Amino acid sequence: MITTIIALACVTFATRYLFLAKRLPFTIGPKFQRFLSFSAPCVLTAIWVPIVFIQNGELTTSITHPYIIAAIVAILLALRFKNLYITTFGSLAVFFVFF
Amino acid sequence: MKIAIKKGLLDMLPLNLAVLPWGILCGSLAIQNGFSALEAQLMSLLVFAGSAQLVAIELMAKDVSFVTLVITTFIISARHLLYGLSIRKKMIDKPLKWRGPIAFFLTDELFAFSHHHRAYQGKLRLVYALVAGASFYLAWNLWTFFGIVAGQYLPDLTNLGLDFAIAAIFIALVIPGITNTSTLVACIVSGLSMLYFKTVEFEFGLVAAALLGMTTGYLLQTKEDKS
Repeated sequence: MITTIIALACVTFATRYLFLAKRLPFTIGPKFQRFLSFSAPCVLTAIWVPIVFIQNGELTTSITHPYIIAAIVAILLALRFKNLYITTFGSLAVFFVFF
Repeated sequence: MKIAIKKGLLDMLPLNLAVLPWGILCGSLAIQNGFSALEAQLMSLLVFAGSAQLVAIELMAKDVSFVTLVITTFIISARHLLYGLSIRKKMIDKPLKWRGPIAFFLTDELFAFSHHHRAYQGKLRLVYALVAGASFYLAWNLWTFFGIVAGQYLPDLTNLGLDFAIAAIFIALVIPGITNTSTLVACIVSGLSMLYFKTVEFEFGLVAAALLGMTTGYLLQTKEDKS
């Protein structure tokens, strides 16, 4: 069991370390870097969108759904205040009013 | 230095709290599936991956083959290849004593704070990232520990809506960064394609959705620059 756990640890660490290894000799040109500059917004969006729109495997688009109401509030708060805490706790408060 | 440490802790704090239900679940699920307390904790100490960890625990309990287990873990972890690639330019000139730990702590959560154009530049920003990443590691392991010792007495906390907290934090981090049309369209393409991939249960969905969005953003921005 411990051996299996260590093997899995190697898999997860390898995926994180591989492209940070100096032994992998390649440099990232300006075009590729431009492509990569979209990775954070795209990945994070691909993580939060299904949390908001899919519950128990079902797609919901009803505007009265607590996840969707609170996500709209979060987007508005983020646009207005650009502050992690205000957006998170403000929208979370709205979420729990409707949840 | 103190400011960098404090900012690292404060920025990661909401996520540290929001993942509590899943940390507890990782601990309690491992115990339910016949892991010893040490093995359950080692999953979080060494493998340190939320969704990959949960799936691996269930697969190990089902006695699937070692190869299946490794391939499944790789598929779920594949998105981290993209994270490493994205911060390579900023990190590659740093000594191993920084690259090693940052890579180990490079979760979705730490990557969420890596987008600033000066991220990882200079010692203070490295300390900031390391503190943020390490605090998430400690929190994750603490919640796992709670799950190991008290999981059987605790109700399932994953349906309390704390998943919305994670969504809210990611919204708070993404939205202010959308300052031009190409980023906006890139995000919309990623979000919509991810919804599609989820409904068809495509395993590489997250990576595919991100790549589709990134390609869209890249093409739009290149076109914009030419005109």
